[in-house]
Amino acid sequence: MPVVDVDPDELRRLTGHEEKADDELIDDLFALGLEFEGETEDGLLQLEFGPDRLDRLSVEGVARSLRYQYGDDRGVYVPNTNDPDWTIEVEESVPAERPYVTGAVIRGVDLDEDALDSLIQLQEKLHATMGRKRKKGAIGIHDLTMLKGDVLEAGADGNSITYRGVDPAGDRFVPLDSDREMTPADVLDDHPTGETYAPIVSEYERYPAIYDEIGLFSFPPVINGRRTEVSTDSRNLFVELTGTDQWTIDRMCNVICYALDARGATVEAVEVAYRDGTLRRPDFEVETKTVAHERIEGMLGVELDVAETVDLFERSGLDAVADEDGDVTYEVSIPPYRTDVLHPLDLVDDVGRAYGFNDLDPRYPDVATVGSRHDRSKLEAAARTSLVGLGFEDLLNFHMISEVENYDRMGLDRPAATVQGDDALVGVESPVTITEPYSEDYTMLRTWALPSLLMVLENNTHRAYPQDLAEIGLAAGADDDEPTGVAERRTVAAVLARHDATYEDAKSRLAAICRDFDVELETPATEHPTFIDGRAATVVIDGASVGVIGEVHPRVLVEHDLELPVAAFEFDLDALA
Amino acid sequence: MRLPESQVAVLEAASATEERTIEHVSEETGLKPETVTGAAFDLEDAGLVSVSTTETVSYTVTGEGETYADAGLPEVRLYRAAVDAGADDAPVPMGAVIGAADLDGQAVDIALANYARKEYGEVASGEISADPDVDPAADPEATTLDALLAGGESGDVEAQDGDGDREVLDQLVRRGLVERTERAVRSVTLTDAGVTALMEGVDVAETIDRLTPELLASGEWQDVAFTPYNVEADAPERRGGKVHILRQTAERVKDTLVGMGFREMDGPHADAEFWINDCLFMPQDHPARTHWDQFALDVPPMESIPDDLVERVRSAHLDGVGEDGQGYHSPWTEEVAREVDLRGHTTSLSMRYLSGHEIGELEPPERFFSVEKVYRNDTLDPTHLLEFFQIEGWVMAEDLSVRDLMGTFEEFYRQFGITDLEFKPHYNPYTEPSFELFGTHPETGELIEIGNSGMFREEVLRPLGVECDVMAWGLALERLLMLMYGFDDIRDVHGTLCDLDLLRSVEVLH
Repeated sequence: MPVVDVDPDELRRLTGHEEKADDELIDDLFALGLEFEGETEDGLLQLEFGPDRLDRLSVEGVARSLRYQYGDDRGVYVPNTNDPDWTIEVEESVPAERPYVTGAVIRGVDLDEDALDSLIQLQEKLHATMGRKRKKGAIGIHDLTMLKGDVLEAGADGNSITYRGVDPAGDRFVPLDSDREMTPADVLDDHPTGETYAPIVSEYERYPAIYDEIGLFSFPPVINGRRTEVSTDSRNLFVELTGTDQWTIDRMCNVICYALDARGATVEAVEVAYRDGTLRRPDFEVETKTVAHERIEGMLGVELDVAETVDLFERSGLDAVADEDGDVTYEVSIPPYRTDVLHPLDLVDDVGRAYGFNDLDPRYPDVATVGSRHDRSKLEAAARTSLVGLGFEDLLNFHMISEVENYDRMGLDRPAATVQGDDALVGVESPVTITEPYSEDYTMLRTWALPSLLMVLENNTHRAYPQDLAEIGLAAGADDDEPTGVAERRTVAAVLARHDATYEDAKSRLAAICRDFDVELETPATEHPTFIDGRAATVVIDGASVGVIGEVHPRVLVEHDLELPVAAFEFDLDALA
Repeated sequence: MRLPESQVAVLEAASATEERTIEHVSEETGLKPETVTGAAFDLEDAGLVSVSTTETVSYTVTGEGETYADAGLPEVRLYRAAVDAGADDAPVPMGAVIGAADLDGQAVDIALANYARKEYGEVASGEISADPDVDPAADPEATTLDALLAGGESGDVEAQDGDGDREVLDQLVRRGLVERTERAVRSVTLTDAGVTALMEGVDVAETIDRLTPELLASGEWQDVAFTPYNVEADAPERRGGKVHILRQTAERVKDTLVGMGFREMDGPHADAEFWINDCLFMPQDHPARTHWDQFALDVPPMESIPDDLVERVRSAHLDGVGEDGQGYHSPWTEEVAREVDLRGHTTSLSMRYLSGHEIGELEPPERFFSVEKVYRNDTLDPTHLLEFFQIEGWVMAEDLSVRDLMGTFEEFYRQFGITDLEFKPHYNPYTEPSFELFGTHPETGELIEIGNSGMFREEVLRPLGVECDVMAWGLALERLLMLMYGFDDIRDVHGTLCDLDLLRSVEVLH
C-alpha cells in the first residue's frame, strides 16, 4: 500500500485544530482508515492510505477528511470556478494512443516550501496510482506567467495552447533538470526521467507535446520544460493532464484543484477544444446515486432513523435528501473528487465509517451449515499419517523450481515439448514454465518432488543422520488436454539418507504404505538415469504404473554434495485411493 | 549364601568388634565409596551388618587464613608495632604505628576492630595505647590457626568439636580465616547374623547385564542379580517421524473451520485470469495484475470458460451492475481474461464455486473454506516467500451484515487464543465494506494485523448469478504460524531452504 508523508503542523493548521497532539491526530487518522507507519527524518508522519480515496494523497485532502470527521464541515463542497480564459486546442496530429487532455488554471496560489512539496508529492502519488505510472494519466503543472497563449482567432477572447503530436526529433526545448536544448527523442535517450518513462511513448509515431506561442513547453507524460518551472514564487498555475481515458484524467485534475483550493487559490475553468466538441473543465459536476435505507440498515446490522442517516452522509462529505414516500431512499450527492463510488453500496460504506464500524456489536450468524474436508484432502492426511508412522520427517517444499534442479542435477535430459506425464519416466515431463521469470532459481513448476527432497538433503549435510524425509505435494506438467494447459497432481516422495541405506529399506516402507491402503504393489525392474542401474524399479500399484523406486546414483549424490547412500521412491497419491 | 560381588567384599571387610568407616572399607576393597555405601545398606536390609552415622566437623584454613598465619594476625602486628612505639607506656599517634605494622586498606579496619575486641589496648582520638600485660604469642586465634595448619598435609584438619576452643574456632570462621564443614561419616559393623553367614561361607553371585529369553525360559533368573543401571543418565537421542509444523497448523485451521460448518474447496493452482482477477472485479489495468506481482505461465489461453459468464463479467467491468452502477474506466479484453497464471490468492476457487460451475449451483446458507498454496512474485526475504498458504473462508446467506462478519471472525480467532479484535476500515477492489482485522497477540499483548475481510461487491456476485450476501476473509497461514511461534525467518520453515534441525525441534501443536 502506498505511503504519503504528511506534515503534522500543516495538518493542524489546515484542519483548524492547532491544539491536537501528534498522538491524537494519529488515532483520529486510524479511524479514517489511514494507518501510521512511522516518521520521516524531518518529522513528517508517514501514513499508509487506501487507493480508494485518492483525494487523501495530500495533507490538504487529509485535512478535509478530518474536518468532516470532526463535524467542522458537512455536506458537499464544490469550489467556485471562474469563467474560462484559456483554451486547450487539440490538434489532429495528437497520437491516437494518447488522445485525451484536460486541465485548469489556478490563480492566487501561495506556495511556500511545504505547500510546494505537498503539491509535488500529490502529483507523484496520483501518477503512481490512478495514473498507472503516468501511462493512463500524467500531470504537468506550469507557471502561468511564463506561458504566452496564442491569441485566438479574430473575434474570440482569451489565450490558447495546443496539444499536438510531433516528430520525435522534430523540435527542441530545454527540459527540467537540464541546461541544454533537446529533442523529445533526445530526452528519451539521454535524460534520466526520459529513460524511465520512455516505454510509454517510444513506440508512438508522433510524440505528445504541448505548445504555446513561444514553443514546446511540455512533453507529456515524460517531462516539462524549464521555461514554465513552478517555484515558491509562482502565483498562477496552469495544470494540464494527458492520458488514455478522459474520466481518469478529469478526476485526477479535480483532486489537484481541490487541494489548491484548500490553500486559498481560485480555480478558473479552461476549455478543451476537441475536433468534435468542446468540454469545459475542470468537471465539477456533482453526480447522484440512490441508496435504500433498508440496505444501510441491512449492511450495518443496526437500526437508524432518517435524521441520523442524513447526518452520517453529511459527515462523510456527501449530501443526502431523503424520500420518505414508501420505502425510504436517499438521493445522495457525490463530490467530484471521489473516484471510488461505482455503486450505491460505496456510499453505504461511507455511512458505516462515519458511524464507526468498531462500535458495532459482533454477532454470530444464525445459519447452520455442515462442515467437511474434500476427499483428496482426507486421502493426503491419511497418507501423511502413514509416512510419519514409518518415521519420515514430513516436509513442505516449493512447487516452483529451475530446469537445472528439476532435470540436470538429477541426471535427466530435458524433455521435448510434447512429453506427457503418462508416457515418460517419472520426472521427465514437459514443464510448465514461468513467463519472463526474475529469478533463475524459479522458472518452472516441478514435474516431480524428488529434486526438492535432494535439495533439502544438500542444504542439511550439517544436521544429524539418518535423514528420512518425505513430502506429499504438487507436481505439474504441460498438457494441452487440460483446460488450463497444466496437468496438476499430488505426488508422494520419500528419501532415506543413512550410512546403510539400501533399496530394501525404501521398498519395505513403500510396501508398508501400500498395505495401509490395501493396494497391491509390484516393482518390475526399470532403467532410470537418476538411479543406479539394476537397482531401480517402476512402482506399480493395482496394476498401474505410478512411480519409481531405487537407489540414487552416486553421480547425483556427488552433485548434491552428499556423502552417503540415498534410497528413494516417488508415486502418484491417487494410486492409494 | 550368594550375594552380589560388592556386597561380599564389604561383608568381608567389616568387623564385628569395631566400626569401620565407608572410606576405610572403600580403600581396602578398592570399590568406590558410593558402591560401598549402597552395598552396606543392602546388607543392612538383609540384617548382616549395621550401619551407623557419625556427624563430624572439620575445619580448613582458608587462603586468607594462611596469609595471616604466615604474616601474623593484623591485630597482633598492630600490638607489636604499638609496643615498639612505646604505646605500653603512653598513647602514641596511630598513623606511624599503622605504617610500622605494615597495614593498609581493609587490614587497618580489621586490625583495629580485633584489637579493640581482644582488649589489646585502647584506640581513641587518633591515638593508640597498648596493654603491657598482653602476650601476643599466646593469642588463641593465632595458635589455633597454626595448629590447624600443622595438623594436615594440605592444611585440612579434621577436628572434633572437643579440640581447641570452640569459641575460638567460631571466631576464626566468622573472620573468614577458617572454613567449617560438617560431614556424616558412615561406618559398618557385622551383626551376629553377618558373622554366622561368613562362617558358613558366602559366594559371589553372578550379576548380569541383560535379562534374556533363555534366562526366563530356564528359570535361571532366580539365581542371578541384576547390575544396577545409572537410571538418571541420558539415553541415546531418538527421533521419530513428524508432520511439518506448517501442515500441523493447517490441520488445526481446517479442523476449526470444519467445526464451524465450513466445507473445503478444491481447485487448480494454475488458472485463468478470469477466475483469479476478472470475476473479482479487479480492473485489467490494476497494478497487482502485472508481471511484477504475479507469475504468468507459458501455456495457451484458457478456452473453456462459459461464454455467458464471460459476457456478464465483461459488462460488469465496463458498465457496472444495477441502476446506479458504473464500471471502471479501464479497457477490458477477453485476451487478458483468458491468460493462465499461478493464482495469487485462493479466491479464484471461491469464484469457481460461487459461479455454480464447480460443484453445481449453490443455495444459501453455505460456508466454504480453503487452506492452500498461492503464488506471488515477491522478493524472497525473512518474511516473504514466492509461494505460501492462504486461509480463505466465505459465508453465503440471505441477509448478512457487517456484524455477522465480525462475529464469525471473532469465533475463529478465539480458537487460536487471539481476542479483542479490531476492525479497521480498508479497501479491496472486490469487497465493500472491507476491513483489516487486528487482534491482540496471545503472548506479547501487541495489536497485530491478522487478516483482511469484507462483503463481496454486487459487481462480483451478480455476474456469477448470486443474489444473496456473501462475506469473506483471508489470512496467510505463515502469518498465523509466525504469530504462534515467532520464527525469525520463514525460509527456515517453508521450502527447500529449510533447516531440518529447526523443524525437528519445534514443539508439537496441540
